[in-house]
Amino acid sequence: MTESKQTYNEAAQRLEAIVATLERGGMGLDETLKMYEEGAALLKTCQAELIAAEGRLNELRLDELEQELQTEAP
Amino acid sequence: MTGRGEVTTGPLPVGQFVTMVKRALTSEPLFQRQAIKGEVSQWKSYASGHTYFTLRDNDGQMSAVIWKGRCTIHPSIKEGTEVVVTANVDVYVKRGNIQLVVERIEPVNALGAMEEAKRLLVERLRNEGELDRPRTRPPAIPKHIAIVTGAGSAALADMQQLIENRWPGLRRTVIGVLVQGQRASEEIVRALALTRRLADPVVAAKRGEPPVDLVIVGRGGGSPEDLWAFNLEPVIRSIIASPVPVVSAVGHESDLLVSDLVADVRASTPSNAIERTVPVRAELEQWLDELDDRLAHATRRTFGDARQRLIGLHARLKVAPLAGINVERRSMLSLQSRLNRATESKLANERTRLASIEASLHTIHPKRVLERGYAMTQTKDGTVVTNTKMLELGQEFSLHFVDGSAEAAVTQIHTMEEEQ
Repeated sequence: MTESKQTYNEAAQRLEAIVATLERGGMGLDETLKMYEEGAALLKTCQAELIAAEGRLNELRLDELEQELQTEAP
Repeated sequence: MTGRGEVTTGPLPVGQFVTMVKRALTSEPLFQRQAIKGEVSQWKSYASGHTYFTLRDNDGQMSAVIWKGRCTIHPSIKEGTEVVVTANVDVYVKRGNIQLVVERIEPVNALGAMEEAKRLLVERLRNEGELDRPRTRPPAIPKHIAIVTGAGSAALADMQQLIENRWPGLRRTVIGVLVQGQRASEEIVRALALTRRLADPVVAAKRGEPPVDLVIVGRGGGSPEDLWAFNLEPVIRSIIASPVPVVSAVGHESDLLVSDLVADVRASTPSNAIERTVPVRAELEQWLDELDDRLAHATRRTFGDARQRLIGLHARLKVAPLAGINVERRSMLSLQSRLNRATESKLANERTRLASIEASLHTIHPKRVLERGYAMTQTKDGTVVTNTKMLELGQEFSLHFVDGSAEAAVTQIHTMEEEQ
């Protein structure tokens, strides 16, 4: 599963699991750091998803959008 | 004018009182746009174009009026016809009459035929397995919602308001269509075809926006006939054909339409569709902030524990014999270097704390031990002598002190066992 294909849900679930594991503790420093880095990356992914949902607000009548898409058609 | 809650003195003029009654009744939502069933009696159409009748059943009756041109009157309606009206309660002040102002009237048998067509369609869909087809779950965060609903409708305004409350600026495309009347189903089908195009990544890329990943199709409440487009096969088929999840959001809670049976998500009302598919952004942000804190805290704690272990090792080293020093020191150096590497990028503050540990480590360098009066014994080939077994009588060796060394030879060997 590549990061870009990861859905918000998957990223959020993995992030929760990582935080829970780190909170339980008992891991080596290398592993802790690796998990921290993965967690930080997942956080960024999730935050980016929030921003990605913002965008244009279109409100058109049916025929307006039909025309718009027609002129765009190849 | 005297309104509710105002203090009045003396008896009220009756006209004023009836006006108060009218105001109370017409402001009650339950009495507005209500579907009511009954039998037509005293049906009378006047030259003015208005029609008056009484709607009755065995338990009660009420006067009703259809203002000129207000709605289509089915030609089969006459004295005794069973009808369903959608009407608002009003009071005719001049006569003090309560009456129904009818916005829509349908004979029950006409409705019966429609119900039958709906039943057959559901049957057909069930046989084709469409009712049990796997549903697609809506995305956790929709990146581009398409909303197909009545242009300028109250339902649309409600949805827009709710989206803005939950996720300001959420990307969406509203396609305004007719949602009732003859052309409704055709327009809804055309609009759904457009959503399929907007869901196409190629088309979306050309438009410079993410593909549509959720479709909400619906309208606010109304009489069964108002909602009927959502029971018609062309609309149903195009909902099924959607490559992205479709939410059916038609009418009120109690209305069950065929579109509800085939959609990926059935929302009870348009507002409910938004509540079920648009998360509250502030809540997600708060949750992520929390995870951010917990992640940093848990990581810092693990490194803090490692530091405590180092401090413990340090204390043990201070009292360790010379032989142990190298082993402990190596493990400590390796821990230290791992820690250094680990903290390089993320935990600068940890590094400063480690630096202070490193400083104290310095104090237990072998040289410091030699200063305290210990000497290190080495054979000619440089091996550190750690026990008597490594020496033979007559063997030469070096003794290293803090400021230099001395050469010596073994003249006698005593082991602990002998001494005891």
